[in-house]
Order: sequence, then C-alpha cells, then structure tokens
Amino acid sequence: MTTCQECKSFFPLEEDQARGDCVQRVKDPRQAYYMAKPVNAEDDCSSCASFHKKEFVQ
Amino acid sequence: MSQAALKDTSVDVFEKKQEWWWAAEKKRSTRLDYLRKAIWKKGAIGGLYAPGVKVDLERAKLHTQKAKEMEASPDPFVMKFAKILAHVLDHKTIFITDQAQLVGYTGSLPHTMAWDPSCASILNEEAYNDPTAIPEPVEENQQAIREICNYWIGKSDLDKMMPVFDMEDLMKMLSGSIGWGVPLARGGYSNKDYEYIMTGKRAFGDIIEELDRKIDEVDAEVHKPGATAETAKMYDKLNNWDAMKITLEAGIRIAERYARLARIIAENFEEDPERKEELLKIAEACEQVPAKPPRTLQESFQYDIFIQMMSRNEAIEGAWPSRPDYYHGPYYDKDVNIDKTLTKEEALDLVGEFLIRAAEVCQFKPKWTREGLQGIDGTWVWTMGGVKKDGSDACNDLTIAFMQAARLVRVANPTFSFRWHPKVSDEVMREIFECIRQGLGYPSMRHDPVLIANSMHWHGHPIEEARTWVHQACLSPCPTTKRGYQPMRMANATANCAKIIEYVFTSGFDHVVNMQVGAETPDVTTLTNFEEFFGVWIEQMKTIFSILVRAVNRARMLAPTLTPRPFLSGISERSIESGLDTCEPSLARGNAWITAFTWVENIDSLAAVKKLVFDEKKYTLAELKEALAKNWEGSEEMRLDFVRNAPKWGNDDDYVDDIMLRCLDEAAKFSKVLKCPSGNNWPILPENVSGNIHYANIVGALPNGRRLGDALYDGGVSPGPGLDKNGPTAVLKSCGKIDHITGGRAFLLNQRLSPTQLAGEKGYQLWRAYMRTWADLGIDHIQFNMVDDKTLRSAQKDPEKYQEVIVRVAGYSAHFVDISRKTQDNIIQRTVQGL
Repeated sequence: MTTCQECKSFFPLEEDQARGDCVQRVKDPRQAYYMAKPVNAEDDCSSCASFHKKEFVQ
Repeated sequence: MSQAALKDTSVDVFEKKQEWWWAAEKKRSTRLDYLRKAIWKKGAIGGLYAPGVKVDLERAKLHTQKAKEMEASPDPFVMKFAKILAHVLDHKTIFITDQAQLVGYTGSLPHTMAWDPSCASILNEEAYNDPTAIPEPVEENQQAIREICNYWIGKSDLDKMMPVFDMEDLMKMLSGSIGWGVPLARGGYSNKDYEYIMTGKRAFGDIIEELDRKIDEVDAEVHKPGATAETAKMYDKLNNWDAMKITLEAGIRIAERYARLARIIAENFEEDPERKEELLKIAEACEQVPAKPPRTLQESFQYDIFIQMMSRNEAIEGAWPSRPDYYHGPYYDKDVNIDKTLTKEEALDLVGEFLIRAAEVCQFKPKWTREGLQGIDGTWVWTMGGVKKDGSDACNDLTIAFMQAARLVRVANPTFSFRWHPKVSDEVMREIFECIRQGLGYPSMRHDPVLIANSMHWHGHPIEEARTWVHQACLSPCPTTKRGYQPMRMANATANCAKIIEYVFTSGFDHVVNMQVGAETPDVTTLTNFEEFFGVWIEQMKTIFSILVRAVNRARMLAPTLTPRPFLSGISERSIESGLDTCEPSLARGNAWITAFTWVENIDSLAAVKKLVFDEKKYTLAELKEALAKNWEGSEEMRLDFVRNAPKWGNDDDYVDDIMLRCLDEAAKFSKVLKCPSGNNWPILPENVSGNIHYANIVGALPNGRRLGDALYDGGVSPGPGLDKNGPTAVLKSCGKIDHITGGRAFLLNQRLSPTQLAGEKGYQLWRAYMRTWADLGIDHIQFNMVDDKTLRSAQKDPEKYQEVIVRVAGYSAHFVDISRKTQDNIIQRTVQGL
C-alpha cells in the first residue's frame, strides 16, 4: 500500500512525524496558489492522482 | 480591452475619457493587478452564483463529522460547539496565493463558498437544490450534500429555535411578505468589541492567560466549603470560559499552519529570492498574530483578517463592521512615517491587497439574501474618518491611503462610508471626491455630529462611546465598546414597509402569500376621512413591526443557551469578565433598529389618497380598492392620475413632506414602546439594499400608481426614480425637514450626479457647495452614483469590457455587470441631478 509519507508532496510536522501536510501547486482559471491539507503519514494514497514518489523514504 | 490596446493608451487618455477602470489597471502595481484579477466573484446575479464558484463541501463535511463524533459526549453544548469549530480550523485546507502578502480565507479553496450546515436546514436544502453551486462530480457530491442535509434536520439552529418561537409570528416573518431576515443569532452579522481587541493592548495569548486566571479563581471558589445559588451559576461560566479558550487556541494554531505553509513554499518551491523573503515575512506575521499583538501594518491587517475569518467560521456574517483607518492607522504611521520600513507605494500595495482579501470573502447564503444583495456577498461597509473619543479629527494618512488604494483596485465591496465633520481637511475631502468622481459609488457621506447625537438619543450611549461608532451593516451606527457593541443582527427585524399601505386596502390579508399577515382592520371602503385612513395605516405599521421585533427579541433571549458564540465571546471584554455569552442581553446596552425597506411608497401613496380621494374627491376608496385588486387593469388613466397628479416626496412640497414627518413621528413614538431584551428602543432606519427589486413581485399594486411587478423605489428617503422634478436642492430640502437625530436611526439618500458637470476643480467646488447645504440641513447620509447613462448602456451591451464599473445600489456598491438587468435599469432611471 502506498502511503502519504512516500510522496514528494508530504511534509511531516517536526513535533510529530506521523502527521503532516500535503502541499500541492494549483493553477485555477483565475489564480495560482499553493495549498496545504493536513494528512497522516500512514494514510493510504494508492488512488491519489497527485502522488509523486519521493526519492528517499525516511 | 486587449492587452495591446491597454498598453498603447496612456493613463491621461483614459482619464480624459473618464474610463477610470482602464486607468486604474494601468496605474496599479503588477502585484495588485494580479491579485485583483485573481478574485473569484462571489456575488450572485439574480440569485445565482457565477460559473465556477462552488459550495465548500470540505467545511460542511468537517463540521458534520465532528458533530456526529461529539453526539455522545457529555460536554455541554457550548463546549461541543467550540470543539467543532476548532476541528474545522485544524483540518481545513488552506492556501497562499501567488504574490499575496496577506493570507486567510473562509473556504478551503479560492473558488469555494464556506457553508455552515448547522445554521438552518432550509439553507442546506438550497445547497442540495442548486446544481450550479455543487462541485464536480455533481451527482456524487449532491449525494454527499443530501447526507449532510439529512443529518442536520432537527438539529440546526433554526430547527432548535422553531418549537420555542411564537409559530404564528415566525410563519408571518418567514413567509417572504413582510420580513427580510431569519431570527437567528448566528445568521446575520456581528459588530466587535474593537476597543478591547484591536487597540494593540492585547491579543489571543493575553486573553487566554486572563481566561486561565478566571477559570482558576472560580474553580477555587466553587470548591470552597458552602454552596449557594451563585455557586451553582458558576459552572456555566466555567464552561463558557473553557469554550472561549478552545476557540482562541484554535485561532493561534491555524495561523501557525499558514506560517508553516509559507516556510514550506519558501524552502522547497519558490526560486525567486524576493518572493522567498515575502513568504518568510508572511510566516513571521502569522507566528506573531493572532497570538500576540501586531507590530507592523502587515501584521495588523493580518490580525484583522484572522479575526474576521474566525468569526465567519462560527456564524454567517453578512456584514463587516470595521473602522480600518482608525485601528490600523497607528501601524501605518509607524511603518511609513516613523520607522520608514515601508515606502508609501509598498504600503499602498498592502492596503490594496487588504481590500482584495475582503472582496473575495464569501459564505453560502440563502437565495432571498442573494436577491436582496445582488452582486456582493454581504455589505462590507467600512467606516472611515470621524472623530476620536475626545472629539478631535480621526483622519490620518491611512484614511488617504485607503481612498487611493480603492481607486486602484476598484472592488465594489468593501465599500466605504465616511464620517464627515466640520474639521475634515480639504486634502481628505479631495480624496473622497476623487473616489466618487471616478465612479466608485463610495464613500457615502455620514454626518458625524448628527449621528453621534442620534446614538445618544436613541440608545443612551455615552458620548465617548458614541464617538467610536462604525456601520454595523449598511447604515446604522454602533459603538465598538464593551457595552455598546451589538453581537447579532437585531435588524433581522427588517420590514418590507410597502406592505403597510397595501394591507390598509386588504385589511391585513396578503394576496401574494395568501394568508392573514397584518392586522384585521376595517374594510377600507368604510373609512370616511384621511385621519381614519391614516389611523388604519398606523395600526398596520405597529402590527408588522411588532411581529418582527417579537421574533428577533425571542432569538436574542435564547441565543446564549441555544446558539452561543464562544469565539465572539472570547474577544469581548464583557464576556471575559462575566463568563456569559456575548449575546446575553443584560451585558449590553442595546443598539437595535428596524430596517425599513420600501418606506417612501407609503408616503407617496398616502399623499395620493389624501389628494385624489379625500381632498379633490375625484375617486372613492371603493374605486381605488377595486383598481388595486385588479393590478390597475382596465384603469390605466386612473393609474396615471395617481402617478402624475399627486405630489411626490423629494420635491420640497410640504403637502407630501408633512405626511413623511407624520409617518416618521408615529414610527418614532412606537419605537419607544418596542423594547429589545437589553431594555432599549427599536428606532426605524429607512433603506433598501436591493429589496426594491427582490420585492417587486411580492408587493401588490399601490396608490402611488405602482403595479405588481414594477420595481419599488430605491430606498431610504430617496425619491422614486424620475419623480424628483425640482432639482437636487429640493431633494435636500425635503430630506432636511426630517429631524435626523430623533426622527429615526438613519435615512438613506441616493443621488445621481453628472460626471461631466463635476470634472476638474470647478466640479470639486460645486460638490463642496452641495455638501455644505447637505451638512447645514443636518441630513445624516448621502451617497452618489457618478457614471453616465452612455457608459451604463454600453456596459449592458458589452459587459466583458466594463467589469470594473461600479455603481451605488443602495446601502452598498456593486459592479454594474454583476447585478440583474432590472436593477441596472432601475439605477439608470434615477434622476441625474445638475448642481
């Protein structure tokens, strides 16, 4: 199972590596922005269209 | 206009052609231009949201999911609610827009509208039934919305309140005939105790420390030997304080989330060194506020945005009471003039962005609200100028910066309203005039000495508190003090006053909603003279006002227990001190008013009846009653007689002006009989928003010659469009006969001026002379449209080219292309006054 912690977009919290943010770049018809959604390191992202494997998993 | 054409045409050429919107686009910085164009328009046209704007399902799901989890919790309701609010803030998606220096938004993504499913089930059903506002994939998400709706049936605020209301009053209020509001503390708008939270003396961290002290003290007290009735009450206070603390801590955490995101972007994604620096500055700002007081202008604006965001996380806020030049002014002065850490241009970028952040705010609202507030999400009427508590001029450099930024970014909302007093400098007046001349439709002008006296008269606010006043929504002053500020929209008692005169003819029966709404007064054909007729009018007026006020009073009484506001309480001194919810009536002095939509129809109708029926005996009441019942069908000549040959308000004609004064006098007397739960008065406030269009198909034919379906007058004490025949001074003289201190709470006056006549220095001097007359007559309000018919008609044909043309609708401004055709035509119909 692929988990969020394997993804380039996952940024863990310093104080709790089991939690973090999924940070994505978005361009909508009016503006470009970075968004952050709280996720858990162990969340299943097998069906996530935005998954990009990190080079090294800690 | 194509980019090439824009590039090749100079600012001077655009300004000469009075195409201010193109000039603004060329003049504003690259950053402001980007951010201005980045806004997703959230105002509705004809009740429908713009394509691409969607309801925020994430927020509704987070709220509902946590509510389900908390069901079995033994926590008292206020604590559960606080934990739900904290959960939403801890888990919602956040974003930072490119080039932005300020962050924070009510929804999860820029194109979404925050939807709180816990306010009213009827609102939730609207989310379900509007496929244009449901995000993709529509079918799947509509099913998710259905599940959310089903959960909240019986549990929403309105569902909880309904069994404890007078059902007859509530049905009449919600029938759509006489009211424009729902009696809910969390559905409307709140002012804030800005004197407590925005003066730099404290922030959330300080308040949390204070709450901890209070909790420890009272906890020790309740565990001493002994027990009394007072001890028993203390447990509720402990719960309230705990709930306040939960929400404030959540506010600090979400700011830290923004700080973290800014650092992640700077360290991992952004390559431009200047933008990296900006992102790190955003992070510092969000690490400072709202936990600690702001130190800079950026932090001050950021603090304000967080407070507004959190208030909107807790309730539907349909207004944004604010005095931004007053409360943020010291930081502008420090950064630009003293420490010189910001240039004026850099500060202007921040001010412009602050306007843009406010313009993009949106919460999903019911259709009747959207129809009454076309083109905007809510009335963000920001109060500028005025006096300080000691009576000295409060205008500062930031007052001027706001006027300049407004001309650059040309948002319709926020809109400004300027508190004029005799010591306002010429420099500030010129900046105001430029905004009006460049077609912003704002600032509207408020007579500060009159309104301070008005606040003292109607609600007994001490003069120092009265001087702090901001617009609670469109027009009504409200202090920003411990006992003076108002935490709920008491003007949920908004009355569709045209029904008063309509019900005189129908003995209170409403033929549109098919129910008895007004008083069962005698058949109008039995009335033999004008005084009897007027007596029936008074009875209908009292009945309608009483229905609305009773419902709202009840909502206010129940609010602390059934619909508490722990966050708003947590930033209010009276709640921190007392441990009671901020809506608790005994904590406040009271600042209620009845917004009186469609008021002048009564005056013109009464004058027509008096003249043509009773004085000239040209028609009988029976004939008139029949003609109105048939919507004037078959009686066009008679109808035109009532239009043309009866005197109309706004022409300095004592025949009809005296009737206005009598009507106001009766309303003012009754305003002192009606009392709010804090024990204070309920004065009326004639104004309309776009109620004149919303009610067009709800108000029947009237004796001023109106047919069912015709737009009503544009509101307040403005004359009917095209009915003011004697020039602008006559309009002012009519309005000047009203006592704006004791006659009511405030009186909206729309005027349209010619942009050509008011060009250049001569135009400015003409306007100043006009304003001197306005001030000398003691009129409390005036607002201007200064866009010519040619531009407006062109904008109707080619809206894409006129996106930033703004008009003053009523108590607010909107982009002309964002309002319905009917409203557009109504504005074009307004008389252009030559000064």
